[in-house]
Amino acid sequence: MRNFIKGTYATFKREIGRIRSSKTYIATLIILPLIAFLFFAAFFQKGVAQNLPIAVLDEDHSDLSRKVTSMVDQTPAALVAFEIQDMEEGIRMMREGRIYAILQIPEDFEKRILGGGQANVEFYNSGANISVNSLLAKDVQTAVTTFTIGVELQMLQAKGMNAAQAMALAMPIRFSTHVLFNPYVNYGYYVAPCFMAMMLMIFTVLSSVYAMGTELKNSTAKEWLDTGNGSMLAALSGKMIPITSVMLIIAVAMYVIIFNIVGAPLNGSAIVIALSTLIFIISYQCIGIFVLALTDNMRLALSFGGGYSVLAFTFSGLTFPTMAMSAPLQWFSHLFPFTYYMKIFVDQAMRGAPVGESLPDMAYMMLFCIPAILMINRLKRECTYKKYWGKS
Amino acid sequence: MTMKKIGKYISLYWREIVSVMRNEYREIFSDPGVMLVIIFAIFIYSTLYSLGYGNEVLRNVPIAVIDNSKTSSSRMLVESFGSGPNAYVAYEASDMEEAKRLFFDHKIYGVVYIPESYEKDLIGGTQANVSIYCDASYFLVYRQVFQDIVASISTAGAMVEFQRLVASGVNAPQAKAAIQPVIYQSHNLFNPYLGYGTFIMPAIIMVIFQQTALIGIGMIGGTWREYNLYKRLVPAGRDRLSTIPTVAGKALAYISIYLVTSVYVLTVHYRLFNYPTNGRLIDCMAVIIPYLLACIFLGIAVSTLFKHRENSLLWLLWTSIPVILLSGASLPKEAFPEWMYMLGRILPSSPAVEAYIRVQTMGATFDEVAPQIANLWQLVFIYGGLSIIGMHLVLNKEYANRTKARLQKGMDKLGKLGKSLKIQKPKAKRAQ
Repeated sequence: MRNFIKGTYATFKREIGRIRSSKTYIATLIILPLIAFLFFAAFFQKGVAQNLPIAVLDEDHSDLSRKVTSMVDQTPAALVAFEIQDMEEGIRMMREGRIYAILQIPEDFEKRILGGGQANVEFYNSGANISVNSLLAKDVQTAVTTFTIGVELQMLQAKGMNAAQAMALAMPIRFSTHVLFNPYVNYGYYVAPCFMAMMLMIFTVLSSVYAMGTELKNSTAKEWLDTGNGSMLAALSGKMIPITSVMLIIAVAMYVIIFNIVGAPLNGSAIVIALSTLIFIISYQCIGIFVLALTDNMRLALSFGGGYSVLAFTFSGLTFPTMAMSAPLQWFSHLFPFTYYMKIFVDQAMRGAPVGESLPDMAYMMLFCIPAILMINRLKRECTYKKYWGKS
Repeated sequence: MTMKKIGKYISLYWREIVSVMRNEYREIFSDPGVMLVIIFAIFIYSTLYSLGYGNEVLRNVPIAVIDNSKTSSSRMLVESFGSGPNAYVAYEASDMEEAKRLFFDHKIYGVVYIPESYEKDLIGGTQANVSIYCDASYFLVYRQVFQDIVASISTAGAMVEFQRLVASGVNAPQAKAAIQPVIYQSHNLFNPYLGYGTFIMPAIIMVIFQQTALIGIGMIGGTWREYNLYKRLVPAGRDRLSTIPTVAGKALAYISIYLVTSVYVLTVHYRLFNYPTNGRLIDCMAVIIPYLLACIFLGIAVSTLFKHRENSLLWLLWTSIPVILLSGASLPKEAFPEWMYMLGRILPSSPAVEAYIRVQTMGATFDEVAPQIANLWQLVFIYGGLSIIGMHLVLNKEYANRTKARLQKGMDKLGKLGKSLKIQKPKAKRAQ
């Protein structure tokens, strides 16, 4: 045990020296993550998309049609930026990327309503970007519904009802909506944690593989192993601890951005999130160890490790839910610690789930360390024999 | 310059282009790591991601109902929740505690609470209250569940209102108009079922082209320098490779590969996953060709900075995510600062993603995306120029290093010769 600690410490010190003397190492470990997270901090500052430009095709030109238009314009999501003369013009503007949707108010709109008949309002919403689509759909529908109920109430009151009676008749069932956990239904809440955790993962895998891979490439592997007193485990711990620490600091920055800049809620246990982040980082370091030991070639390991990391994005279920995937793909999604990490994040930060709910997921993430442990002997052989060195 | 001389230069340049191209192909196809990035990544990612989004939309999200009214009216309402395609009532919970437990176990994603007084309120002519608890921690889930429940409640409400009006003596058509003076209809264009794959995959595919080109070309560029390939390819009787043929040779090698993979994506992949192909092929190509050229020239320019094979991956892999964000395909440009959107325009992916989605998904024609295409051609020239400058510096440096080495070798030889002739340097006089 004493030897192990000594070996770990010696390797740790050696690693700090190696970090300080290599530009690429400093870049992957510190500078690029710093740039990346500054980017995110700036990117997410603005928050929910507002004033998305739409066009209105007002064929009625009446007080009521202008009323609808201005109610739509006053919603947070929509901005009536153009008045168009026909649908063709609107579709062309959509294709030119100048508007996202068209609100059409047909002729006789006011006449029909005042005459006690039914009038139509049509909303043509581009589905090319579904995050824009749902923001607009929700707000425009709300605006038009509010307008409709207003008309209804006035007409009922004109028939001699009092306001309360009219309201009860117009909306016999009132519903109160409780949006759980994401009060603004902000797409950024899903996108920001998902993208930033991806970034953390990419830097963890790359810097871990690079830290070990350069030893093989530059034929210093034996020296590394010897610094760990011949114990592969000590040599690995000493090498990995600096990376784990830096990644943890980056994770703190990530959570500052998620909670303070993006404004996501923290309803559950911060300790569970912190612990899970540590396990998440270590599990991806172990994946780095596994891939490097498997290929004994730094560049191939970087390609495989990087490729595998990026794959996790789709299968995290945060932007597109896993339950909508077919069974084999649901199974496939369990091959990434990222999936569990995102589930823990949603359960704890947003849903405020009890701690017990996240413990199994933390345990699953730890399972990803097993392949690395099984590779330790192989890695030791690779560090000992020259034939494994110098590949690139 | 005589015609003969020009002819000689042309043939020399051509031979250099061919030799650089041949060498580039050899480097790509003999290196599984590079092939993985430049060729296979496009197949792997476009296929796996598309499979992940294969069902495109979410259906049948389980919800729970707490029905404290237990009357025929409340029954009818509960049954109507399952009539839409998006949600179904999976559990009837007895209280909020039970519903909460089901919720945390990911068994349900929404709860509807119907109070005891529901039927009484409806019959009594007052308002009945129904509470909806909807999970917004997953984006699509929220949208689907919420839509269905609200639609059911509105329909049930309209029916009650209609009955009340008719009971009070209003005739049926008048009652119908009174409960719904405005019929609101929403139509989704270009992506009628709001498929997630249809939304995000075109952007991801475009970004994959750029990122694999940058990383792959960077890997080979690093290899050339790490293994001194620039020296091996110097034509006989010349000091160094010429800059423009080197850049041209490389660019031709990559454009040939990327044209094949992009045509695969546009035809086979799009058909396989039924993504919308509303654009004409010729308009798609008008976007894709300058895009690929800009990516490849940017790749060559950046590759001149890398001295080792592994550097490009280490330096560039992470950029994929900022690149997607900057293109405005995930969150719209209204959701992030304008200066970042403008900054994004220096990346080929940003105008290309925008133009490509508009052509392929929305059916835009050449004129409607002309500004983006012009932007792409500007980038082709800018990065073409930068790649020529970068390559020129690398080749010069490499030549200078070689000359220095040769000079050193010559000096060493001279020194040895001097020693063998026993010529001794005159002893320097000490000044002090």
